[in-house]
Amino acid sequence: MKVPDKGVTKTDSGICLEVRDVVKRFGKLTAVDHVNLQIRDGEIFSFLGPSGCGKSTLLRVVAGLENQDQGDVLISGQNVNELPPYKRDCNTVFQNHALFPHMTVAENIGFGLVERRLSKSEIKKKVADKIELVTLGGMEDRRPDQLSGGQRQRVALARALILEPAVLLLDEPLAALDRKLRKEMQIELKRIQREVGTTFLNVTHDQKEALSVSDRIGIMNEGAFLQIGTPDEIYEKPGSIFVASFMGATNIFSGKVVSQKGGNIELETSEGLKIFAPEPGNSSRDPIVGVSIHPELIRLEPETSEESSSDPTSQTTFHGKINEVFYQGDFSEFTVALKEADMLLTVHLTRGKGYRLLLPEGQDVIVCWDCGSNNILRG
Amino acid sequence: MKKKRIASKILGALSVLTLTFLWAPVILIIVYSFSNSKYGSSWEGFTFKWYLKLFTNEQVRDALMRSLIIAGVTVVVSTLIGTITAYGLYKLNFRGKQFLRTSILLPIVFPSVVTGSALLVFFTRLIHIPLGFPSIIIAHIVFCSPLAVFIILGRMQRFDWSWEEAALDLGATPFRTFMRVTGPQLMPAIMASAMLIFPWSFDDFVITYFVAGVGSTTLPIYVFSQLRFGSTPVINTIGTLFVAVTMLGILLVYLVQKKTKTSG
Repeated sequence: MKVPDKGVTKTDSGICLEVRDVVKRFGKLTAVDHVNLQIRDGEIFSFLGPSGCGKSTLLRVVAGLENQDQGDVLISGQNVNELPPYKRDCNTVFQNHALFPHMTVAENIGFGLVERRLSKSEIKKKVADKIELVTLGGMEDRRPDQLSGGQRQRVALARALILEPAVLLLDEPLAALDRKLRKEMQIELKRIQREVGTTFLNVTHDQKEALSVSDRIGIMNEGAFLQIGTPDEIYEKPGSIFVASFMGATNIFSGKVVSQKGGNIELETSEGLKIFAPEPGNSSRDPIVGVSIHPELIRLEPETSEESSSDPTSQTTFHGKINEVFYQGDFSEFTVALKEADMLLTVHLTRGKGYRLLLPEGQDVIVCWDCGSNNILRG
Repeated sequence: MKKKRIASKILGALSVLTLTFLWAPVILIIVYSFSNSKYGSSWEGFTFKWYLKLFTNEQVRDALMRSLIIAGVTVVVSTLIGTITAYGLYKLNFRGKQFLRTSILLPIVFPSVVTGSALLVFFTRLIHIPLGFPSIIIAHIVFCSPLAVFIILGRMQRFDWSWEEAALDLGATPFRTFMRVTGPQLMPAIMASAMLIFPWSFDDFVITYFVAGVGSTTLPIYVFSQLRFGSTPVINTIGTLFVAVTMLGILLVYLVQKKTKTSG
């Protein structure tokens, strides 16, 4: 049962939501494939993945809108497998908001409280609180079709938060907003979460959104989590080729380890390039299949005659030719064709650092970066 | 150029002819209902006396009351059945759903003669339902409910079902969800079907004639029986009232649809 007037649920374990070995199939398609997950009290956790990866399905399983074929869902330590959505201590902000069109803003927000049979005056007071929280003062009597996208978003958020759920589920609520509004709502979302302290479970396919709002991120693909970690771990230390390319580390050298010496491993790529990377601290069972390097960590210099040969174990250096330049405003994206191998590298130069360098298309360049930046990928 | 003019002339003549046959009888009935002629088929000065006669005619009053009661019960029961059936047909998955969905529309396309005679045989030979109010009401529900299913199902196909999920998610049981969200959203469709069913039931002659039995004369049957004694002025007044009521119904449907369109 949902218990009214309860603050943030604190269980002894500090685990707010637990998913154990959950499987959900639609016919032959396995949308969620043996997923295990623990979400802590008060954190913003994002499911991040391409569309069709099963992230929304997993969220709907947690909400009770889909029934899993196998496995358990525990909210605040209680197994909710047998509970219908209206008895689960979680509420959802839907992708299209799903506001009730025949009700005003205040009626929409108070919907759940009416179901809990609170008195009219109590409902009024709580609705007023939530309207203030999401800064919608003066909009109480409007209908959803008289609101802007961002305002509808806030109503949906207030409507779900008013029941003080143990977990708030957000099913890509920002996807439909334009870029500027989305940015504003991300900030709002984080502010509101810090204010109410509720655990947020956010589903998104937008890497930037996940990185900026989350405490932890779970990268999903084909119904399973590939990597779970803090935003900086996920971005800076992607563990697999999929995560690396999905998080924007577009430069991936696949290859295998040929030697290991002096704290470094030496990797030979399929094209015959030799790349050194720091020896990984933790020894995983999965074999090393390559390294990735983010475009913004690569330096570009015009090729000059007097070439300073640097130590390949501290600097990774290749020769190349600028293929194309894409101006982005705050940075420029260069694609560089390597001379050592048939491969294109993506390089980002931000304004300010070497940006003024005259690097036209066709220019011969040296690309280099610290070996310490090479991130090891396993598969 | 010349060919075009001839074509448009033919089209214009056809339109005039069509409209004439469509409207002239109705307009004549309305005009003659105010005529002083006792045969009701020529103009001999203005009068309200046929209307007075109509409202003091006990047979007419009985028939009218009967028709109103039948139409009233039919509207309420048919829209109720229609709503529940449409909901089930849309939401549930079961074997033979598609077949059921198609077959439920059969009473709309079946000739009334077939439906009427089949019902008569069914009532008298098989389940022995007394002819009169019960048989007429059941017969009307049979051919009116599909219309409600049809209209409400059409609305459901354009329905945003995430509203229902949102209500469940916010703690409403399925029943409360229907009462607070789904039902109110379907209301325009339910009202529209009620407004179409009312004249259907009120006007029906063929099926009613089959299953009415003796002594349960509805208004259309009364009109028909009176016509056999020649056109009487009272028939004209009934005709005028029928037209007025039907037009009012259509107007109401139009207004409701317009309102739902503007309120999204």
